[in-house]
Amino acid sequence: MKIIRILPFFICILFVSQLNAQKGEVKMNIQYSYALPLGSFKSDVISNGSPRGVTGDILYNVSNKFSVGLGLGFQDFYQKYPRALYNTGDKEVTSAVLSNSVQIIPLLAKAEFYPLGGKPSMVQPYITAGAGLGITSFTQYLGEFGGSNNGGGFMAQGGAGIFVPFKKSGHSGFRLGANYNMVSYNKDGFSNFNNVNFQAGLFFPLK
Amino acid sequence: MISKQFAIAVCTACSAVLFGCTKEPLNNLTQEESRIYTTNSDTTTNFGNYKTYSISDSVAVLDNGQSYKDLKPVDQAYIDAVNKYMQQRGYVLVNKENNPDLGIDVNRIYNTSTGYFSYDDYWDYYGGYWDPYYWGYGGYGYYIPTTYGIYQITQGAVSIDMLDLKNAPSKNKIDIIWNGLARGEGIFNESNADGIVKALFDQSTYLSTNQ
Repeated sequence: MKIIRILPFFICILFVSQLNAQKGEVKMNIQYSYALPLGSFKSDVISNGSPRGVTGDILYNVSNKFSVGLGLGFQDFYQKYPRALYNTGDKEVTSAVLSNSVQIIPLLAKAEFYPLGGKPSMVQPYITAGAGLGITSFTQYLGEFGGSNNGGGFMAQGGAGIFVPFKKSGHSGFRLGANYNMVSYNKDGFSNFNNVNFQAGLFFPLK
Repeated sequence: MISKQFAIAVCTACSAVLFGCTKEPLNNLTQEESRIYTTNSDTTTNFGNYKTYSISDSVAVLDNGQSYKDLKPVDQAYIDAVNKYMQQRGYVLVNKENNPDLGIDVNRIYNTSTGYFSYDDYWDYYGGYWDPYYWGYGGYGYYIPTTYGIYQITQGAVSIDMLDLKNAPSKNKIDIIWNGLARGEGIFNESNADGIVKALFDQSTYLSTNQ
């Protein structure tokens, strides 16, 4: 019901607002992130989505259509599998509940492109790309016995979304988007923690 | 314009909330889920060739390098459970003086000191706490297949060993042909013994006189 009540408010914002991405402005994005594992990460480690994530960017507007900066984040993946038998040696079988826990902290150089930058628009689309370091922590437990592997590797990101200012010509507002994240990992037969994350949050100028 | 202090506060709050919400795997396990049940077996052994067994009337307790025999209620619960599931698989309990085909030892293992307990130590001194004389083969040694455990124990374990007494005279050694190991929360709880032994037998379907 609450959503229905506030929906007209958002619609009004969409129709009256326009973005004014000023050259030379430094802005910050803070977003909640929900991520879904992909590929071997999904099939071999964790298939559950992660509702525990946050991303943050500090970007400098090089022009009305382009900004560059740094991106940080945190995403926590976890899954507990029902008790099953695992071959843990030549002649050894172990029955255990398997728990996998993966944390990813991206530290990226980022760039954002705004196709409609400088033009009045109620909704401003963006395309983003980033590359840098993906710090990973992978913990695997058989029952209560296990250990962690921490590491860092190359991470690349590409995504798209929209942002909507709170008011006409506003410099702060809402952001919605999705990113594909390629996270290198290569230990103990596991490879890459690739995922896609959906994010929603705020942007505002820092100076 | 939003101040840097505000931005830092928002970032800190978001980070605190998110890190605080991280799922800690160990906090999301029940006592039963915390346990692991491991079995080792000699794959060349046909367990159907054995019909009778005897089980020790007490357990060996390995406690930080010390070993002694004991029979607490939890020990008796394990012995009773092993008897129950051995007999369900068709094996007949006999007195150890009646030349059983199999001998079964139950062991309680503790490591309350810091560091790790290596199963190498456990096997190295096996004859010390289970003298082959007990099984009527004084002077014999035990043959421990190299594949048997090299676990590191930080809390404790219950170990059940199955010995090949039938072929000991011809081999001049006692082969340990099956080992079941339980680790995790509640293994020294009397009420859990039956379920733990059942789990070890359930994953060892080859333990049967009908092979």
